[in-house]
Amino acid sequence: MKEAGTRPLDHSTTWPLFFRLRHYANAVWAENIKEWKLELTYPLDFLRSLIDPVVYLLPYVLYGVALVGGRFSPNLAKLVGTTDIVSFITIGYVFIGFMNMALWAMGFSLRKEQMYGTLEAVFAAPVPRWVFTMGMSMHSILHQFLMIAVQLLFVLAVFNIKVNPLGLLPALAMIGLMLVALYGIGMIMASTTLIFKQGWLISEALGSILMVVTPIAYPLAVLPVFMQKAALGVPTTYGILAARHFLLGEQMGFSVGAAFLRVAVLCVVWVVFGLVIFAAIDRSTRRSGTLSHY
Amino acid sequence: MSLSATAYVIRAEMAKTIRIYFSYPVIVVFWAIFPVLWVFPFLFQGKAMVGSGTSAAFEQLTGSGNYMAFILIGAMVSNFVFSGLWGVGNSLREETYWGTMEYIIASPTHPLIVLIGKTLAEASITTCIVFLQATIISLMPFGISFTVAKVLPVLLLVVLLMLGFYGFAIAFAGFTLLIKEVHGWVHTLEWVFFLFSPIRYPVQMNPITSFVSVLIPLTWALVAIRGIILLNQQAVGLWRITGILLGMDAALLLGGYYTFVALERKTRRDGTVGMH
Repeated sequence: MKEAGTRPLDHSTTWPLFFRLRHYANAVWAENIKEWKLELTYPLDFLRSLIDPVVYLLPYVLYGVALVGGRFSPNLAKLVGTTDIVSFITIGYVFIGFMNMALWAMGFSLRKEQMYGTLEAVFAAPVPRWVFTMGMSMHSILHQFLMIAVQLLFVLAVFNIKVNPLGLLPALAMIGLMLVALYGIGMIMASTTLIFKQGWLISEALGSILMVVTPIAYPLAVLPVFMQKAALGVPTTYGILAARHFLLGEQMGFSVGAAFLRVAVLCVVWVVFGLVIFAAIDRSTRRSGTLSHY
Repeated sequence: MSLSATAYVIRAEMAKTIRIYFSYPVIVVFWAIFPVLWVFPFLFQGKAMVGSGTSAAFEQLTGSGNYMAFILIGAMVSNFVFSGLWGVGNSLREETYWGTMEYIIASPTHPLIVLIGKTLAEASITTCIVFLQATIISLMPFGISFTVAKVLPVLLLVVLLMLGFYGFAIAFAGFTLLIKEVHGWVHTLEWVFFLFSPIRYPVQMNPITSFVSVLIPLTWALVAIRGIILLNQQAVGLWRITGILLGMDAALLLGGYYTFVALERKTRRDGTVGMH
């Protein structure tokens, strides 16, 4: 009875595991479909969201070319074994889009519901709240894949990028693991909006720090030592390094097995941490009665 | 409305905007620190690509091989552009969120006067933030030093840049009255500026970006400011660029005024001012 006021009425907790998972999967899918419907209500804005990543990527590539005076950098070859800066930078920035997804799309999922005036209805739904954020996450991941597809089509049409096709599957496997860990970070971001309401500052600050420590357009070796250590605690480091290792042959500084193992550990750590933080903040805002505050 | 009453409204709006801004001191700290932090990936990228703090290829394009100083100056000056986009262009949208937009529209003051108050407040805050950034950066080993002889012409260029750009931002504020949710469009504009003006790279390296960039006042201002700070070009070509910026300012201010007035009238007639 003590917790009755802080949890949604979820009858499925008494169901067999298979039926309960199916129930949650339905809720995740429904949330995903709802987000797509909302998004496609503004077709022009949707189109803009597909073009944005291309516009976003180009200054980084052009800056690299301006620095080197061409496409190939002997210094980069010395550091990581690959000379093609266009491929190096492009792959880094294409996959870092998933981090933005975790921080912004998931982080703002609850804030968006609050602005629509539907947060209370969502929180009263008979499923755990992590199911709701997972639905949001599913929509964000699918949207991100679409954006990546447009980015890649543009890049392949304009720049002659050669990647190892055999590396595609292991690269995607690593990206998949990175996504799981990012889900945990996204949960933390989502919960901070329950306390701070205007959570953009935290998303922006954390996103900026991650963009610096993640070796998106440079190898880990050029970072100061304290940043190198910090980089080893974030999943994007392994996602980007391994994707480039499989696709371009970049030397990572550790083995493939070690990269997978470390990301697996980070998945557990970030997801558990994210769920615990989310549950604690959710409970706290309900008890203090500030859930509906703006 | 008399001139003194108009000045009073502008002063009151400025005071209100600054008071709201400083109600969240952490936001001030954020804007002072993070625009400089956003530059770090470019510095590390430079270190990885060329292996040192200078680049011969970059020098051929810009006249200075110090790419770090190039990027940092771009980051500081572009603050004025982005504060215009977010602080002025998006300001009426914020009033809608706060539920105070109808009061502004119903008051006996033209919304443009209110917007001028917001613009002046935003310009003052951004100038303070950029001053703070410049102080921090000049203390660090990036090869950027500010002397009075350099600062005065730079200030003139910054004022000219702000005049024109805030004219554009006022037009954009009118656009927000019409289409309401512009958050995504502001981001797109941000990235368009990053691509077509030399904030982060020398745009003349590509014929398309080079062509488009001459239409953006920020390009002219950045070229002149970098010339003064990095190449010690003192007054060489400054008058020519001042003339170009003045012409652009006139076009943008007039265009901004007429666009805003037309869009504001349209939303009033359509009865959509209070809509979200």
